[in-house]
Amino acid sequence: MITRSRMNRAQIIALLAPGLIVFGLFTVYPIIRLFMMSFCGIKLETMFVQPFCGLDNYVHVFSDPTFGTSFVNSIVYTAVTVPAQMALGLFIAILLNGIRRFSVTFRVINYLPVVTSWVIASLVFKYVFQTEGLLNYFLRTVIKVIPKNVKWLNERWGGMTVAMILGTWKGIGWNMVIFLAALQQVPKDLYEAADIDGCGAWKKFTHVTLPAIRGTILFAMVELTIGGFNVFTSIQMITGGKPADQTQTLLTWMYKNAFSLDHDIGYAAALSFVMAFTLGLLAVVQFRMMRSRDV
Amino acid sequence: MKSRKFAKIRSAAIRYLLLTAGTVIFALPMVYMISTSLRPNGALYEWPPRFFPKPGAITFENFEYILDQKKFLINFLNSVFVSVCTVGLAAFVSSALAFVIGRFRSRATKLLFAFIIITMIIPGTTMIIPQFTLAKRFGLIDKIWGLIPFYVAWVIPFSTFMIKGFMENIPDEIVEAAWIDGASVFKVYTRVAMPLAAPAIASVSIFNFLTAWEEYPWAVTVLSKSEELRTLPIAIAGFNNQYGNVQWGYLFALSVLCMIPVVIIFILCQKFFIQGLTAGGVKG
Repeated sequence: MITRSRMNRAQIIALLAPGLIVFGLFTVYPIIRLFMMSFCGIKLETMFVQPFCGLDNYVHVFSDPTFGTSFVNSIVYTAVTVPAQMALGLFIAILLNGIRRFSVTFRVINYLPVVTSWVIASLVFKYVFQTEGLLNYFLRTVIKVIPKNVKWLNERWGGMTVAMILGTWKGIGWNMVIFLAALQQVPKDLYEAADIDGCGAWKKFTHVTLPAIRGTILFAMVELTIGGFNVFTSIQMITGGKPADQTQTLLTWMYKNAFSLDHDIGYAAALSFVMAFTLGLLAVVQFRMMRSRDV
Repeated sequence: MKSRKFAKIRSAAIRYLLLTAGTVIFALPMVYMISTSLRPNGALYEWPPRFFPKPGAITFENFEYILDQKKFLINFLNSVFVSVCTVGLAAFVSSALAFVIGRFRSRATKLLFAFIIITMIIPGTTMIIPQFTLAKRFGLIDKIWGLIPFYVAWVIPFSTFMIKGFMENIPDEIVEAAWIDGASVFKVYTRVAMPLAAPAIASVSIFNFLTAWEEYPWAVTVLSKSEELRTLPIAIAGFNNQYGNVQWGYLFALSVLCMIPVVIIFILCQKFFIQGLTAGGVKG
């Protein structure tokens, strides 16, 4: 900041250059291309011929019934898994915040699902939820709550349920860590003041804890919503979109269009952009919602 | 006084009870994966299914099968190569970015930072199509090292964000002293900033390793030619044949082997890990 000599300026640029080149070429440029492609009729084979076709791809997206199915699936997946993992993660964090011993042990075990790869975790769940699998055996023969084996994987909401349970299981650990750190920063005297006022545990939670960790809740919500729409590998592994594209989500449907159906890249690009736009909108809405409670 | 103590003990007991129950349920899928990998491959479709293998029927035949095949060793080495290179390059480029953005505040660097962060809203997989056409043009398809630039680009925003916080918190006096001694920008970066930001770089590197180690959608899109040109996740997913019988025993044996480095790194670096995670989440 003191010397602004030419040499220092050159060195600053030299430091920025590698990162900006990689980032620009492999992230920014593809985003711009994606936007351009969505207005073009391109197939994978004719990649470099790009006749402009206006909003055709977008019209195609919104008139495609499978887009509707996958959009609903993605929304349901996000609407279920995001609150579920936040609530459970926060609950475990509150339990952990009040104990001294074994806290690290619990934390490590509960965090393991997060570091497990999506491919592996999805296949474990697929194996457990097979029609002749362990879970059906447990439900039917051991605790006898179902009359016959549920075909989890061969049905739209069955398949989505498996994916949602997996998504929740895999996400709780992350929420736990984030919320535990937030809880540890809530000033202790707030709780003491609430004690003096005679607040019960629930009141303390809603009047002290929740307002104090609001920033973290917002952060988690935005991050997890993006993650929810990003669901891909688990669906590919567990159902592959079956039966009859009933369990496709936005990304798996986009992928199928680009790489295996009729290689319609323009359509897939438009779909991606609709999704990115929805996410941007959701992020703005979430920020507004949390802000408005400030007043 | 006594009743208060009792209430305290009771509350702790409830906490431990709930935590233990929750943790056991949580761990079940992973335990089941390990127990399945230790059963003979043929016994996996038996009814009733068993959670634990029959005592005395524990076998390592699945692991022997996997370890006998050279292709899985190659897949493993591919994954190691890609992950290590990604981690190394990302640490270098993002700490340089973070250093400039964090220490040279100006409108330009602020704008640059905002721009880098905004791209985090777009889910990585949506960009798979333009990235694919780009990879094709550059001849990065069906090459193991071709994954690396994409992975590095992918982790730059998060890594820069994390390290920048550390760069900003370096006390001004230290940097100032270096300037007065006539140090160049490079020198301040390598001698002062890098060592002081080392903990942040370490925790970011763990995340980046996991990201590269488990990445599946992009890898399977660009590496399709031969079995030796695969990373571990593709090899594992390769057992997941939609039509025929899945070889669950082999599949989970390979999964267990794939998890071992991850679990070791995670347990050894637990502290860095948690530090890194929370630095991003609590500020807001």
